[in-house]
Amino acid sequence: MPAAIDAQCVCKTYPGGGRGLADFSLSVGEGEAFGFLGPNGAGKTTFIKILLGLSRADAGTVRVLGRDPGETAVRARIGYLPEVAQYYEFLSARELLAFYGRLSGLAARQVRERTGPLLELVGLSEAADRPLATFSKGMLQRAGLAQALLHEPDLLIFDEPATGLDPLARLQIRDIILRQRQAGRTVFFSSHELSEVEMVCDRVGIVKDGVLKWCGPTREVAGDGERNLERLFLEVIGAGPGALTAPESLRL
Amino acid sequence: MSVGVRIRPVVSVARLSVVELFRRRDVYVALIFALVVGVPLLGANVFGVEGAVRYVRELVLLLVWVCSVAVSLTTAARQLPGEIQRRTILPLLARPVTRAEVVVGKWAGAAAASCAATLLLYGCYAALTALKSGGGGAGGWGVLAQSVALHLCAVLLICALAVLGSLVLTASANVTLSALLVAGMLLFGSRLYELAAATPGVGGVCARLLHWGLPHVELFDLRLRVVHGWEPLGAWVFVAILAYGLLYAASLVGAAALVFSRKRL
Repeated sequence: MPAAIDAQCVCKTYPGGGRGLADFSLSVGEGEAFGFLGPNGAGKTTFIKILLGLSRADAGTVRVLGRDPGETAVRARIGYLPEVAQYYEFLSARELLAFYGRLSGLAARQVRERTGPLLELVGLSEAADRPLATFSKGMLQRAGLAQALLHEPDLLIFDEPATGLDPLARLQIRDIILRQRQAGRTVFFSSHELSEVEMVCDRVGIVKDGVLKWCGPTREVAGDGERNLERLFLEVIGAGPGALTAPESLRL
Repeated sequence: MSVGVRIRPVVSVARLSVVELFRRRDVYVALIFALVVGVPLLGANVFGVEGAVRYVRELVLLLVWVCSVAVSLTTAARQLPGEIQRRTILPLLARPVTRAEVVVGKWAGAAAASCAATLLLYGCYAALTALKSGGGGAGGWGVLAQSVALHLCAVLLICALAVLGSLVLTASANVTLSALLVAGMLLFGSRLYELAAATPGVGGVCARLLHWGLPHVELFDLRLRVVHGWEPLGAWVFVAILAYGLLYAASLVGAAALVFSRKRL
């Protein structure tokens, strides 16, 4: 399977000495759904920024869809949903899609044709012409999902898409992501939600302190068995089962 | 980083900036400024009194400059910091658009809005002076046209200055320093060379460097010619000043693109 994402020995250090990534290597095949897990500050967003060409690795090589992520053309094939859905609140959802569509090089006719079905898909048809300022967090995230899918990208990068959403909104977002996976798109999915990852992804990678600590098929760690994803995650990040036990003083 | 700048993304980003100014009702500021310009003219009884006509023209053109500089600086200064603060910059740059195109688009949007506001102010000036002094009262139409063209060129330069400043200074420091620089150059820009010639040693060298390095905004200010109805500038002088302004603005926008390309987001 050709690699949609191929990172080899990537290092990234921030000014002031903060370590983003250290000798980080990862390969994600085309059409694969990959779950990217890790505690806060582990380096997940740093890696995503490198994939999007928003940041450059200090060392190592990164190829996205066979090209350097710094190339503008490669970003026309990537759909990105940021962790915090912040869009232009003075635009409506329809105008937002028109803006991102133009930037992605779509013709006005293509944008018009795709906007209706996409807004239908994310459940925003009735709110299509309302300003984003009036949207709830879940609606904004769904608008974000629509902009990520608008140009029919080959690679979808979702950075914690369900953070702060209510269960219904999570369910809707998960359903949309599953449909993209079924359509054969590569999905790179960063999340804190282990159950989401388990349901959506073919493979999982766990990163801690900028190092990929574990990477393998989801089926190996799925379910409630002896070696489930939650236990593995805690083990890999060094929290252990004791991390879930409240100290004596806090017990009721 | 890709160095080329394509028209389509630049126009899209610029259009977004203009839409934002309208939707956030910032455009009303220009209308309020137009009132500020209009009221002294409406109130003044200048019909047939040449000295008073000149006085009011001078006052109103000064207001046009002050309002235009204020609109240009405040509009341009918040374009890129606004994108960064509300984190819309990430999904924007995740599109096939370069950082240079975003900078040029933001500058173009701010400049378009500021030029429109400046034209509105000049429109008020021309209409009201014509009305109050029975036609031809705006000064010679040729010199007024040159004045407007050079003023718009200055707006492009001032917006470029504010966009660059917004990437290296805080918002308030940027607006304050840019306003001081523009006001300083309008008032004393033409004296800098005399100062350099008259000052010996290191001070003279510094004055020369300032003379050659700072944007000579005063070159774009034809208020005296308009007020006194003098002849328009010679064609070559006019073209040379326009070229100077456009080149200076392009250099500032290029510097802003360079700074932004290295900025950590």
